[in-house]
Amino acid sequence: MIEKKVVSKLEKIVGKGAVLTSKEDLHAYSYDGTTTWAHMPDVVVLTTTTEQVSRILKLANEKRIPVTPRGAGTNVSGGSIPIKGGIVLCTTRMNKILDINKTNFTATVEPGVVLQDFNMALAKQGLFYPPDPQSFLSCTMGGTVAENAGGPYCVKYGVTKQYVLGLEVVLANGYIMKLGGVTVKNRTGYELIMLFTGSEGTLGVITKITLRLLPMPPASKTVMAVFDDMAVGGEAVSNIMASGVVPAKVEFVDNFVLRRIEEMTPMGLPVDAKALLLIQSDGSPAAVEAETKQIVDMLKKGGAKEIKVAKDAKEAAMYWKMRSAGFAATFGAAHTVMAEDVTVPRDKLPEFIHKLDEISRRTGFFISYLGHAGDGNLHPSIFTDIRKKKEFARAQKTMEEIFLAALSLGGVLSGEHGIGLEKQRFLKRAMDPIALNLMIKIKGVLDPNHILNPGKIWEEERV
Amino acid sequence: MPKTREDRYEQIKRFEADLSQCMKCGFCTFWCPIYQEEQVESSVARGKNMMIRGLLEGDLEYTEEFAERLNKCTLCMLCTANCPAKANIPNVIVAARADTVRARGLKFPYNIIYRWLLPRRTLFGNIVRFASWFQGIFLPKTEGTIRHLSLFLSALGKGRNIPQIAPKFLRQMVPVVNKPPAGVKTRMKVGYFIGCMTDFAFPELGKHIIEFLTRNGVEVWVPRGQGCCGAPVFRGAGDFETGRKMADANVKAFEDFDYVVTDCATCASSLKEYASFLADTPQRKKAYTSFGSKVEEISQFLVDVLKLPPSAYKPSPAARGKKVTWHDPCHLSRHLGITSQPRQIIKSIPTVEFIEMPNADRCCGMAGTFSLYYYDLSKKIADKKMASVKSTGADIVVSSCPGCEIQLIDGVVRNKLPVKVMHIMELLA
Repeated sequence: MIEKKVVSKLEKIVGKGAVLTSKEDLHAYSYDGTTTWAHMPDVVVLTTTTEQVSRILKLANEKRIPVTPRGAGTNVSGGSIPIKGGIVLCTTRMNKILDINKTNFTATVEPGVVLQDFNMALAKQGLFYPPDPQSFLSCTMGGTVAENAGGPYCVKYGVTKQYVLGLEVVLANGYIMKLGGVTVKNRTGYELIMLFTGSEGTLGVITKITLRLLPMPPASKTVMAVFDDMAVGGEAVSNIMASGVVPAKVEFVDNFVLRRIEEMTPMGLPVDAKALLLIQSDGSPAAVEAETKQIVDMLKKGGAKEIKVAKDAKEAAMYWKMRSAGFAATFGAAHTVMAEDVTVPRDKLPEFIHKLDEISRRTGFFISYLGHAGDGNLHPSIFTDIRKKKEFARAQKTMEEIFLAALSLGGVLSGEHGIGLEKQRFLKRAMDPIALNLMIKIKGVLDPNHILNPGKIWEEERV
Repeated sequence: MPKTREDRYEQIKRFEADLSQCMKCGFCTFWCPIYQEEQVESSVARGKNMMIRGLLEGDLEYTEEFAERLNKCTLCMLCTANCPAKANIPNVIVAARADTVRARGLKFPYNIIYRWLLPRRTLFGNIVRFASWFQGIFLPKTEGTIRHLSLFLSALGKGRNIPQIAPKFLRQMVPVVNKPPAGVKTRMKVGYFIGCMTDFAFPELGKHIIEFLTRNGVEVWVPRGQGCCGAPVFRGAGDFETGRKMADANVKAFEDFDYVVTDCATCASSLKEYASFLADTPQRKKAYTSFGSKVEEISQFLVDVLKLPPSAYKPSPAARGKKVTWHDPCHLSRHLGITSQPRQIIKSIPTVEFIEMPNADRCCGMAGTFSLYYYDLSKKIADKKMASVKSTGADIVVSSCPGCEIQLIDGVVRNKLPVKVMHIMELLA
């Protein structure tokens, strides 16, 4: 429980309406997009200025109160769950787009700006910000930076960290720090921006973000391909990329996800397909034509059962809407869904899929997957029920096998979701111990009292 | 007072599928008119759904705070329409409101009005005369049937710009049977369900509709046994018990008709939803379902049932040569799936230019009881709608929901827009 005195101090900082303490409200800030974790904070504070964030952190640091920074709470790692209670510092009201500079191709935003609102503002000026986590309708910019989010576009355009030029960050002691600037090139000291991009709210609270932009590609085309065998589809993707074509997006969903989506929103999808591949090419109209032709040829050679080039933007939008419903389809399928985020080198994708099949056969757990075939980032999911202890333990064991299989192929634990709570039990095996130790030391320097999002990323030593 | 846990959550449990369908992706935050204003988790479907789950799991109770958060929803269904899992959280919210009412009772003034006053007809009639004295709530005189209390009008004291109460109500102006004029062949007979707003505030609209229908070969009956559709009672306040009384009365009043036509989107959707929310016995289920299938909103009736040729749509003097834009009432577009019919009618009217407004299907923020409790919030939502209307340069914004119209009138006046608000039928001669 938090002291009444602290609550009234918080109210003095942000105003009464911006401090939530009722049990109902606390309950509504106890979760994120995951199904295995929940914990109530003691108080929720909705900030509107950097100054407020600074004063709150100063207070929390003095009183040693845990602070969990939160945007829209759409992450799938447990990152924004206040696992130790304390304060949830919610930035959803810091939602102004401060600047869009069409000549410099930069924009500066507050952390609570919703990615889709940002995209819409950019589109009006013919600008493009590629990182596209599939929570784009709800996720906040601060969250995407703190989680270093990825998405389908990242196969060609890279992830969030490739776009962050400048940050304003409030440190645990309340200091307001400015990093980077508005230029693409900037070689001033260590790349501290990278330290905070992907820090999952453990090192500071991001209060302002300057991003690099691109011109909106003038043309794009989407190809849908059906495969009888997931691994064959994976191989086709590898071959397309090896032939020198880098599509804007290369996504795939399995039969399970396909059926679930068609069930939720009937749109005439080929529900018998074992695997469905979606490939988008973008750029100048001539380049898109040529690239699409090459993609179609390679898919034919790669054994696609059916290939369809979307005839217009509407049909393409339908396919992509289907893809963005993929996670919803997966998460709604069982009481507890363990969705992994393992990523393997692209050329190891077919082998990884074979390994997943083998694990599924051996353990008896059905494994569904969808994801970013173009960059080897799969989201294998296991459906279970956390209330059934024995089954859940077996599910966890199966997940571990999936993760070890990815590691054995030179892959990584998380491609784009982050570690948070969901993957911390694997971290020790996924990271060089020296690097892990250094990471913990950095945390100690920046947040000696461990008030910022405590209990995340690495497992705490049990005393 | 319900005792066991099972009993306490009787209504919520009926919608458990929707409750568990939500997987917390948070997409609803993008669409929710309330979240867009407040950016607070308890205002959006995901938050409300999780709070209701908390209730079932025993973490939360029916507190004042809980009820207050449940009430803060316009039931506009934008969340459901855009939900990847199609989770109908508004249904769960209505059910939870009902269980809250059963557990906590009704709040003032509903408790007095619905539970104590209504069964005492003489007293009720006397109080009606002093309506304006009573918490600013206007209690219209009725002829022995239950009428809802024009909650929109009760916001009177809060500075809302509202239409005047008509000196004479529609049902006092028109006979029960309205036959087509001489020389026009009777094609069919329908029952006309008069919404409260049309009855008390816009009786001329009702007269015009009867006149239009009869001219087009429809014999229009106005059964006197009809009452309020019940929307504010069972959807807004969650009082299912009173809702059933209202539903039973309306079902009975229209039992002899194959079609029940109404000019109000909210009434239409409420009449159709009796079966989903109020059917507590197999008999009621059957009666409500059959009644619901007879209900037609006026634009749907003209286009789909009457199948009027485009030549039947002639401009009224007020509409002639004007630019017109259409606002989709939530209860029409998402609750009933009617979007093309009204547009088809407007486009058919000679000399009228139709301009589609951006976000035509976004909620106007009225939502009856909601706007009573949260007028400031309701105004902010309406202002977004006003910006859409303004961007079209239209002379007239039309709708098919007198509730929306009240909100649009208020928005137009507050924003000083040179725009008239009309019901779609007022465009027609």
